[in-house]
Amino acid sequence: MSGYFIAVGTIGGIYALLALGLNLQYGYTGLINFGVVALYAIGAYTSALLSMHGMPFAAAMASGALLAAACAWPLGVICLRLRDDYLAIVTLAFAEIVRTVIISEDWLTAGPRGLPGIPRPFASMAPDDAGVAYLCLVAAAVACAMAVTAGLVRSPFGRLIRAIRDDEDAVRSIGKSPARSKLVVFMIGAGMTGFAGALYAHYLTYISPDQFVPLLTFYVWIAVIMGGAGRIGGALAGAALLTVFLEGSRFLRDALPFIPEVQMASLRLAMIGLALILFTIYRPEGLLGRPAR
Amino acid sequence: MDGVALLNLAVTGLVQGLLIGLAALAVSLCFAIARFPNAATGDFMTLGAYAGVAVQGWTGSLLTGAAAGVAVVAAVSLASYGLVFRHFRGRSLVAPLIASIGLAFLLRSVLTFLVGFDQQSFRVPVARALVFGGVRIRPMDLWLMAFSVATLAVVLAVLFLTPVGRRMRAVADNPELARASGIRSRPVMITLWTLIGVCSAVGGVMLGLRTVVVPEMGWNILLPAFAAAVLGGVGNPAGAVLAGIGLGLAEALSTPLVGFTYQSSIAFVVLILTLVLRPQGLLGRAEAVR
Amino acid sequence: MSLIRLTRRAALTAGGAVLVATLPGRGARAADSPYRVAALNPVTGAGSTYGGGMQKSILFALEEVKKAGGVDGRPIEVYAEDTQTSPDAAVLAVRKLIDANKVQAILGTWSSSVSLAVQPITNAAGCLLFHVSSAPALSAPAQNPKHLGFRFQAGSPQIGAAYAEIAAKQGAKNVAVMAFNNDVQIASTTVFKAAWDKTGNKLAGSVVYEPNRTSYSAELQRVLGTKPDLIVVSGYVPDTTIILREAFEAGNTAPIIIPGWAWSPAVQKAVGPEALEGLIVFDSVPDSEGAAFKTYDAGYRAAMGVAGVNNVYASMAYDMGIVLALAMQKAGAAADNAAISAAVLEIAGPAGQKVTSFAEGKMALKASQKINYEGASGPLDFDANGDAISVFGVNKFHNGTLERLYLLK
Repeated sequence: MSGYFIAVGTIGGIYALLALGLNLQYGYTGLINFGVVALYAIGAYTSALLSMHGMPFAAAMASGALLAAACAWPLGVICLRLRDDYLAIVTLAFAEIVRTVIISEDWLTAGPRGLPGIPRPFASMAPDDAGVAYLCLVAAAVACAMAVTAGLVRSPFGRLIRAIRDDEDAVRSIGKSPARSKLVVFMIGAGMTGFAGALYAHYLTYISPDQFVPLLTFYVWIAVIMGGAGRIGGALAGAALLTVFLEGSRFLRDALPFIPEVQMASLRLAMIGLALILFTIYRPEGLLGRPAR
Repeated sequence: MDGVALLNLAVTGLVQGLLIGLAALAVSLCFAIARFPNAATGDFMTLGAYAGVAVQGWTGSLLTGAAAGVAVVAAVSLASYGLVFRHFRGRSLVAPLIASIGLAFLLRSVLTFLVGFDQQSFRVPVARALVFGGVRIRPMDLWLMAFSVATLAVVLAVLFLTPVGRRMRAVADNPELARASGIRSRPVMITLWTLIGVCSAVGGVMLGLRTVVVPEMGWNILLPAFAAAVLGGVGNPAGAVLAGIGLGLAEALSTPLVGFTYQSSIAFVVLILTLVLRPQGLLGRAEAVR
Repeated sequence: MSLIRLTRRAALTAGGAVLVATLPGRGARAADSPYRVAALNPVTGAGSTYGGGMQKSILFALEEVKKAGGVDGRPIEVYAEDTQTSPDAAVLAVRKLIDANKVQAILGTWSSSVSLAVQPITNAAGCLLFHVSSAPALSAPAQNPKHLGFRFQAGSPQIGAAYAEIAAKQGAKNVAVMAFNNDVQIASTTVFKAAWDKTGNKLAGSVVYEPNRTSYSAELQRVLGTKPDLIVVSGYVPDTTIILREAFEAGNTAPIIIPGWAWSPAVQKAVGPEALEGLIVFDSVPDSEGAAFKTYDAGYRAAMGVAGVNNVYASMAYDMGIVLALAMQKAGAAADNAAISAAVLEIAGPAGQKVTSFAEGKMALKASQKINYEGASGPLDFDANGDAISVFGVNKFHNGTLERLYLLK
């Protein structure tokens, strides 16, 4: 039984890391990143391919994070001096391009076949212990991300980026360049996302392009919005809620036996859609956020 | 690659481009006047197609089906303004953008809850294409082109030739000034969302006639539509249409060079290049961009 | 003997989900050690067209086993979960099934990425995995070292070879191929191209196309430009519909071959009889006159309200239940999964007395006879890698209906 909860906790922790990354970008800095799944995929594939060619885990996972951050750089340079929604559209487009590249360049990524047999850390331990160890690894990554976020936010840099989120023109008028700060934040958040992807790849030991669907980006968004953008606790709460929702709907089928299974998928998506609408209208600060007034 | 083959690709691209253009017009109208990118546009189109198929199934008439599709989506579009988007006036565009994504999911899931995931299709005769010196044009495509152009013309006519259209463009250019000079936003918004609904519905029905009706159909054309709206210039619906046609042509004509898998990336590469070189788009104004 | 479907109550607390599971087997006699089976299917998600029916088919197959007296000394307990056609959700489902419910066999995963993600876990836990996924990697020795995985549908090598044989029988000399861009279609068409090369005939155009496109005119233009006398289109219902329609509109007269999973009444409705004339459809449910199929069909109609022939994967799922039960019967009450796995190969044939139901098979096994189960989805003989060897039926669309031409063995 505990094996199941450990698995849920591991996946939930990966979602928490994703939410922390997006929270840094959107919650603190106001960047609308719709390319979360692309950075996730880059981290996953990079780490998987490097470790399958013999690189040790730590280096491979770090490389995944670094490459994701590096890919965020050109996107940021192009968009961050422009309107907010341009970043949204471009990151959405970028996500599509990344997925297309993964599918087409099968000399590198094995294309639609996917990569089975990704090495897993702690493989020498007994399976149950390995599960606990992996959970600890994920928890450590989440703790690191929280520390980085907290450190950034409390620093003068953090005050600057929150000022950018609230009023960019004012920041520009005192001579600071918002675009550079936004770029730094965008890249750090991307690094977190890429690391989450690496953790995912090594946990599942198999990745394929159709696991990296745009819906994943919106799952992370809903975690951040529901939990409360701009608060570390909000990101964690949102990720926990999301995990409970996604796994809980498994048990919901027993509670609502009159709904045929095929319609459960529609119901799940409907509830996510409704939650997005209601939260943005009535509680934009999320569950844990402070109301703006 | 000889001239006839290129012309055939161009015909394919033109029809595709008109479909993207219709969707881009709907996106651009919202962009310009309500000031946010509406991610529910794709699912408005899907809804229009499903409604059209259903009504054609009941009445046997394609025209009635299409009209029903337009009516249903116009109603849903107005309802989404009244229930959802109206709340965001004065707030940053992130909120209505996220809400529109939620609306997209909600619409899609209601549809699949009621109808399921199986493919539907309009009942249309399948016929050999007309051949003009090696260039093939399907009769259906001629109809689609005619109707798309007609719809675009009607919408643009409303926008440029009617009083309410003038008021809409005033709101698009400068909302504060528009409000200050007494333009009431309610009639403008009602017209806007009705037009968005009509465009999306017609686009959805056209798309359904050309291909098959599946729950993801509108969402799949959303990204090229966004790209066209940005490409054509924020605040320039006519530009969005032209950009849509251009993107359709570019996609089709690029296949000999980049292959069939990467053809869908062309729209995005063009988008990114545009933002690097000319962020206001081909026909837009610079101030709308920063 | 008992076949219990357990209900689960879940209470959600602030910190997470607290699951209260009623553990099985409290009332069972010590001598009867229960065998726990899970039906793990894509009830929701992309595979939901098939998953619901697959799950029901496994359940009524095991119900049939129970009604026939069950497996001697081994009461079967059944659990059911949803993969959501997502590897993440499937991994969590499998963890729950293995850790909380202690299942020993998992039946009915459909999507290749689900099966590939789940297989390392089932292998580590020593569980059997019966699936209908097509990824060739699933039966490779590296991925299936203990032979616990069984593929209940033809693998890509067999499908590719079938395309080649049908093309040869049609007398084609210049064949074009259009393949949907995913693992299984690429694998099958690659095998086809290699086999076709060996016949010395020409390969005309070859195109890989993307899903979710609104038109395949550009792809068809490339293919038709090479003037093929036969076209293989290896994809799924929505894209095949568009391709068939546009091929006709483009003036194509060459016959087209499509696999059975790309065919449905929706395709017929969308494309129309004139354009479909001469279409060749091959599928792996050849023997709809067989007794096992009839039993399956009756059960499917009762459970789902439509004919069983509409869901080929459900017929395979039904066979999974029967095959597992027969293998358990053969291996004996104390057998472990290794022995049951070996027994699967024995009872599935091809040698032995032909049986078409659990009751028939059990009787023959108790009389110490060798049996060969012929299932609802096909003769169900497995090769050494655990892949089912299918018999294909080749059909042609003529004057508005699909007629059987011949069987490919």
